[in-house]
Amino acid sequence: MAEPMSARGPEIVCEAVTKSFGDGPSMVEAVAPLSLSFAAGQMAALVGPSGCGKSTLLRMVAGLEQPSSGTINLDGETPEVLQRAGAFAMAFQDASLLPWRSVQGNIALARRLARLRADPEAVAEMIARVGLAGFEDARPAELSGGMRQRVAIARCLVTNPRVLLLDEPFGAVDELTRARLNTELPPLWKATGTTCLMVTHSVREAVALADRVVIFSSRPAEIVGDIAIPEEARSDKAARLALAEEVSVALAQGWDEAGTAERLAAQ
Amino acid sequence: MTALAREQWPATIGRVLASVAFVLVLWHLAALTVAGSYMLAGPVVVAQYLVENSSLIWRALVVTAQNAAWGFLAGNLAAIGLALIVLMIPQSRMLVASVALVVFCLPLVATGPVLRVLYGPGPGPQITLAALSVYYTTFIPLLVGLRAAPGNWFDMIRLYGRGAWSAFVHVRIMAAMPYLIAGLQVAAPAAFLGAMVGEFTGADRGLGVLTLRALRALNVEATWAIALVAASVSMVAYWAIGWLADRITPSRPEILLATTPAPVRGPMAQRALRALVLGLATTVIVVALWWLVMEAFSLNRFFAKRPDDIWHYLVTAPNATAHRAALWTASTATLVQVVPGYLAGLFLGAGLALLLALLPILAGGVLPVAIALRSVPIVTTAPLIVLALGRGAVGTITIVAVMTFFPALVACIQGLRQAPGQVLDLMRLYATNPLAQLWHAQIPAMLPAFFAAARLSVPAAILAVTVAEWLATGRGLGALMAMTASTSDYNLLWSAIVVVAVGAAFGYGLVGLIERLVLARVAPEQLRR
Ligand SMILES: Nc1ncnc2c1ncn2[C@@H]1O[C@H](COP(=O)(O)OP(=O)(O)O)[C@@H](O)[C@H]1O
Ligand SMILES: [Mg+2]
Repeated sequence: MAEPMSARGPEIVCEAVTKSFGDGPSMVEAVAPLSLSFAAGQMAALVGPSGCGKSTLLRMVAGLEQPSSGTINLDGETPEVLQRAGAFAMAFQDASLLPWRSVQGNIALARRLARLRADPEAVAEMIARVGLAGFEDARPAELSGGMRQRVAIARCLVTNPRVLLLDEPFGAVDELTRARLNTELPPLWKATGTTCLMVTHSVREAVALADRVVIFSSRPAEIVGDIAIPEEARSDKAARLALAEEVSVALAQGWDEAGTAERLAAQ
Repeated sequence: MTALAREQWPATIGRVLASVAFVLVLWHLAALTVAGSYMLAGPVVVAQYLVENSSLIWRALVVTAQNAAWGFLAGNLAAIGLALIVLMIPQSRMLVASVALVVFCLPLVATGPVLRVLYGPGPGPQITLAALSVYYTTFIPLLVGLRAAPGNWFDMIRLYGRGAWSAFVHVRIMAAMPYLIAGLQVAAPAAFLGAMVGEFTGADRGLGVLTLRALRALNVEATWAIALVAASVSMVAYWAIGWLADRITPSRPEILLATTPAPVRGPMAQRALRALVLGLATTVIVVALWWLVMEAFSLNRFFAKRPDDIWHYLVTAPNATAHRAALWTASTATLVQVVPGYLAGLFLGAGLALLLALLPILAGGVLPVAIALRSVPIVTTAPLIVLALGRGAVGTITIVAVMTFFPALVACIQGLRQAPGQVLDLMRLYATNPLAQLWHAQIPAMLPAFFAAARLSVPAAILAVTVAEWLATGRGLGALMAMTASTSDYNLLWSAIVVVAVGAAFGYGLVGLIERLVLARVAPEQLRR
């Protein structure tokens, strides 16, 4: 890429973070006190039942949502400081492309917003790397769901972010395309040393992609599993299956009522 | 409306041409049957008149179109300005919208003569009336459009540490564009209408002047010819904006000119109090604006009445009771014609839309014609209805009904299309009969559009009734305003303006209240969260 490789991603430290929405009787406690941290350059998968607060946590890390209490620091800085430095990139479940901009225009806009100089070559190169060469001038409406997600990923990577936040980026994509995206795209961001948090529903995806899988229980979320995925396990099919099994069991505990979790533990 | 415009131009044009030919034949046959009476001139005579008087009509058309264009520009700029104020100061939304509504409810029939006195001869009143008749229908969709973008788009802007300005430049402007265009499309014929009403009030040139002359001389060919020209120009303006817009924003969503009302929330007393405060604040601002404008231009108190003059005239003057009685008589005369016409137009429009939903084969042919006819400013064709149905109540009620019929029809057809396709598929899967589908899925989806049309039709219906009364019946508020304008009884004229504006705003609020109650029962998910 034209840009020099950015500094490695920051360490992310969440301390006793809570978030509640609304007040009075309609108050929802989306995140109960939660403390966890992610090492610099780590690629972590967050897994848990839907509605447990994963998106909210991601949005707080990005500074899009203020914690109700507790703190979030990235290498000792607040999210706002990193926002202004153009350090973040985020992909949403629906690609959230601007429909009136072409593929090229959507990707170039990210550089502009991040206050980077316009760099058509970098944009073109990124389009090629997500396999969309030839679609530079297409509008989002002319692309398939999988193609749109690839544009969203390209938009994330073109600013060479220090923190990459992926909120079920392939959630709306069919299984086959998803498997392909999962093998094609992660190498692109793993190489850059960015700290990456990825929310996913798929255990297989989590184990195959991440260095670490954090498993949440249903709301109010607690961490019911925190599993490191050693590099060796990735090439060993048996080890990968065993890990996937481990994650699934932990996830089942988190999913169910506490009683089931105890039963599982007793077995 | 816009999705249709985009669909397939050749097919649409073909259908339109076929409909035009069909209408021409019908028209010709009708003219043959009633030959000799003073109501209908056949297409041949009208064409003849147009050819013989082409240079006269052309000159008038240029004048009217010019005034309409300036008013179009001014009114839409005002709408954009108001929308930007609301965007910058979100708390001002309700207040700005209410004040804008009251100003929109000013009866053109009365503001016309007043403006005529203020401006003297020349195009001032025409341009002002054109501007007044367009700004509200652009302002309301713009309000929706500026907030129409999904939250994620704004999150992306914030993620890169950018603020409201970037969000405005990169997201809001483009997201609002389809709404602005929809507003401009409706505005084009409305501006033409405003300009013509302005010409009715004593201009010396323009299509409005020719209309008045033809009507007074009972010149049937001329009346028809001018109405035809005015209607065609309005339709062409409507389609031209749609065509241009299709080139600028290729993927416009089909949108409804509706602001979804806030839900009925909180205890009754609190809601009533909020409405009361809003009403009071609106009144204070409108009265202050009124007074300020009069004083700022130091307008002559003889014709530019101040709020306290009207108060004196209606309340503290020695014969205030007589003044109030005169207004009351005129108001009730107007009310008994505007209400039946309004309701008839609205429900016939909705009814036809439902019928078309059951017989979808017909819908493809009716919608383009309905959209075309909706863009015809009814005032330009009102003289025809007067000729055809006479100067009695039937004619007036019909004019009002036609005015509300087409917007209701178009809105309801669009609303019916909003029914979620998957729900309908599910119902078909269970072989639910079409009536049950209509009742459970399509009507609830249609209601917001229906009510949006119902709300906007209130001022439109009042415009129609006052114009009809003024041109034809000689009764009611429209006639009262015309009469007082010509006898220089400015106290009574201004009082009538107040009554009409307050009545229209009140009717609009009433429809909004009914809308909220109905939607809360039938389709609570349609209320703004
Ligand atoms: N802006 C909001 N307002 C109110 N409640 C919210 C908001 N965002 C999230 N929630 C609630 O917080 C909880 C967690 O939501 P979310 O973080 O989206 O969960 P997840 O991404 O794990 O599915 C849910 O119960 C959700 O309804
Ligand atoms: Mg989520």
